[in-house]
Amino acid sequence: MRQTLAVTALNIKSIPQRLGMSLATVMSVALVVAVMLGFMALTNGFAATLNNAGSEDVAIILRAGSQAELNSGLSRDDVVLIETAPGIVRDAEDRPVSSAELYVVVDGIKRSSQTEANLPLRGVEEGAERLRQGFTLVEGRMFAPGAAELIVGEGVGREFQGFDVGSTIRLGSNVWTIVGKFSTGGTVFDSELWTEAGVLQNLYQRGASYQSVRVKLDGPEGLSQLQDYAENEPRLSLDIITEKQYFADQAVGMTRLISAGVALAYIMAIGALAGAWNTMYSSVDARVHEIATLRAIGFSGGSAFIGTMLESLMLAAIGGLVGAIAVYVIFDGMSASTLGGGFTQVVFSLSLTPSSIISGMILAIFVGLFGGLVPSIRAATVPLLQVHR
Amino acid sequence: MNDLTLMWKNLFRKKTRAILLLISIMIAFFIYAALFTMNGALNAGVQSAKANRLVTVNSINFTVSLPFAYYNRVKSVEGVVDAAHASWFGGYYKEPVNQFQTFATDPEAYLNVYPELITSPEERAAFINTRDCLAVGRELATMNQISLGDRIPVMSNIFSKQDGSRSWEFEVCAIMDYEPETGRDVPANFALMHYDYYNEALAFNRDMLGWIVILTEDVSVNDAVSRTIDEMFANSPYETETSTEAAFGEAFLSQLGNIGLMLSLVVGAAFVTILMIVGTTMVLAINERIKEIAVFKTLGFPAPRIFRMVMGESLLLCFFGGFLGIAAAQGAITLINPVMKNVLGELSISWDAMGYGALLMLGLSLITGLLPAFSAMNVRIVTAFGKH
Repeated sequence: MRQTLAVTALNIKSIPQRLGMSLATVMSVALVVAVMLGFMALTNGFAATLNNAGSEDVAIILRAGSQAELNSGLSRDDVVLIETAPGIVRDAEDRPVSSAELYVVVDGIKRSSQTEANLPLRGVEEGAERLRQGFTLVEGRMFAPGAAELIVGEGVGREFQGFDVGSTIRLGSNVWTIVGKFSTGGTVFDSELWTEAGVLQNLYQRGASYQSVRVKLDGPEGLSQLQDYAENEPRLSLDIITEKQYFADQAVGMTRLISAGVALAYIMAIGALAGAWNTMYSSVDARVHEIATLRAIGFSGGSAFIGTMLESLMLAAIGGLVGAIAVYVIFDGMSASTLGGGFTQVVFSLSLTPSSIISGMILAIFVGLFGGLVPSIRAATVPLLQVHR
Repeated sequence: MNDLTLMWKNLFRKKTRAILLLISIMIAFFIYAALFTMNGALNAGVQSAKANRLVTVNSINFTVSLPFAYYNRVKSVEGVVDAAHASWFGGYYKEPVNQFQTFATDPEAYLNVYPELITSPEERAAFINTRDCLAVGRELATMNQISLGDRIPVMSNIFSKQDGSRSWEFEVCAIMDYEPETGRDVPANFALMHYDYYNEALAFNRDMLGWIVILTEDVSVNDAVSRTIDEMFANSPYETETSTEAAFGEAFLSQLGNIGLMLSLVVGAAFVTILMIVGTTMVLAINERIKEIAVFKTLGFPAPRIFRMVMGESLLLCFFGGFLGIAAAQGAITLINPVMKNVLGELSISWDAMGYGALLMLGLSLITGLLPAFSAMNVRIVTAFGKH
């Protein structure tokens, strides 16, 4: 034990002699971990934005087979039938807590690239705020009924230009006044523009059609009551799922990005492994005489092995930490946006989770372990006679 | 023994070290070549765009439709040689998850506007003359095991017919390919149907179209044509936005996010890594050989020759490792081609990728080799022999 400690201390104290190579190893592990964590932060941020949006006690009702709000279409008659259904929470005046909605995809100019990107301009009804957890107006006021007024989500304000409260914006042939800014705590709805459903139908020639109805479910039985009702009503042909399920389905595509990114990080890790191996190899090489001397005066092969291995692990762990810190400082909380499942932009914040940091560190340790393995064995089995000849 | 053999021997004097270095260089170039090719495939639509082809969409957004009457008005604009309209059908085949990208269009006009889309003269005629004909792209047909003469239903996840059904019945009477010489191998992964066959049955959204593709006389009239069209419809409930096909494609790609930046960051990270590993190792390797170099000098090797030898070693290492990496990437791409062909087209590493790759190898070897080469050249014999 004391031997091992002594050898390790010796190894670590001699690192400055191989500063260049050791730094190269640390940096290469740091970059590998940074690539992996960068992709993970991207995916986590996106997934969180979608997952937080979906509520377990809100159902989203679409025309059967449409899969997404954009493809769906519901008539005024459908909406009236839905609102009389059982399983929906009713307020004090016995009105259902629901919102029939439709959206038009409009173009916004992205601040980062100055190019046009799809934004959902959603027409909502009164119940809409109550159907989004954590909805708050952070600036200005609500749109007035019947007026060409908009409230914009926080994410839109951050990523797109021209959506400041008080300004006007032209979307197609219509001019809108932005009267307020809302937040739903970083969910997908923060990437939307809201106005009254009736105004949107009028200005964009949508007649009396809607795309979806959101309703507040009355307890855990609510969903099945609602589904039974719709199935037995011949005038309705609907798909009814919880909002949570709806968004979970939409998040699937993004998982491909993470698997591609993590695969890249693994391939890079092989390169870093070769680097760590090389460094440790040189480390042993440079101290061949020293190690042989120690062994000759009675230090065990095991202590030489562990000493070298610990040096390798330490370099890799430092690299992993540096990589994680760099990603945290540079990317955590950074705002980004991409095309989401609804064919519109989803604004999200990159987020580095503790579990991905752990995965990053595990990868770093693996690089250190396998990079140090062969050199450590070599250190433990230095042929004493040959070296001292 | 000539200098090249000497360099080779020097490089591999410590076999493990040389192999490890080669592996790290190989991996960096593997990542570079693979991502370069992926990026190229994503941009294939932009690259295959014709310079005199314009796209007119609703100015609200391209997902919002336009009145059908616009088509004839656009066709009569001066400078427009030909135009075709298309509408998004939102098709799927058999299962809702199995997307079957289908456009409703005027077949003859569409094939005229996209001359790179080819089919045999008989199939072309059949497609133009048969109302319920579906022309299916080669890759889409292969993916769904559809062949000429099949009768298939295609469902829409957007539209329904007046009778409430969402399924349109077709006879597959043409298989389309993209002409291979139009630059890259773009997959034909969509199908075309007659607009009339689609429009007549629609329960809603009748007499509307999705977008108009225009062929102009020449690139020089592009601006005038797009301005005329957009001004023609200004202040109507359906204003338009006309841009070149390439600009339209680029704008769509940029919606996904800054993919280019992301890929550059990853490739950059991979290269900084090997730069450091190779750089420090080369310095170390030369340091170990200082005595030998002093011997060379003593034997009368001129300093430039020593410089060249060390530099050459670095060049050898980077080019050998680099090309191994690119070869490995080509191998990997060949492996995934059968799976990805229908989505991205047949991929292979382009000459561009090779060229830039060679430049990267040259740069890498200069950066990692210059310092050791200079120090080797300037070795002072007396000092070197004093070392042990």
